[in-house]
Amino acid sequence: MKYTRYEYQTEDELHYFGFTSIGPKGSIKKIVEYTKVSVDDIYNLAFGDYDEQADRLNDKIVTNNGDSTKILATVVSTVYAFTGRYPNTWVFATGSTEVRTRLYRMGISNNLEELKEDFYVYGMKMDESFEEFIVGEDYLGFLVTRKNKNINL
Amino acid sequence: MKVDELNKAKVPIVKIDKRLERFRGKVLFPEKLALANKMLANTRLPKIPASK
Repeated sequence: MKYTRYEYQTEDELHYFGFTSIGPKGSIKKIVEYTKVSVDDIYNLAFGDYDEQADRLNDKIVTNNGDSTKILATVVSTVYAFTGRYPNTWVFATGSTEVRTRLYRMGISNNLEELKEDFYVYGMKMDESFEEFIVGEDYLGFLVTRKNKNINL
Repeated sequence: MKVDELNKAKVPIVKIDKRLERFRGKVLFPEKLALANKMLANTRLPKIPASK
């Protein structure tokens, strides 16, 4: 991939991924979660900070650990892993805030050329319909699915 | 695995961490899931181009 990313871990079903952000604010554990939504074959991607001591997650906190590009590249990488195991699924993502949604958009834009080799990438417009992702457009959320379904991890 | 190797691998090499299994079956970000359900309730999946 074009951007460096953190090494991450997962569990047997590849629904939960963990990695550690390292920067000026120290080491911060991140969790990425894929959860089935009420629409068939769509999983919601969510991620946030995990406070191990408090055993609590936070998807609204802005950590400012100086590594947002690397974090987003890592999250994108988990999409490869998750859809490698579940190639017929769609993955939806939206931010908990507008700022976070723009951050997701940045992550997709930064990795778009590579993503498009393996995924169909869509943005949810303001009327909640989807269009093929266009760099620079504002979206409410994002949806991807594998082009090649014949992959298994 | 070294970062260089990791970055070159398009299909990631997945490492299992049994500690993450304690999350299984739990919704860690329920607000996000509720938001996604709401946003997707009345939408249609895009049609995948037939020629590709």
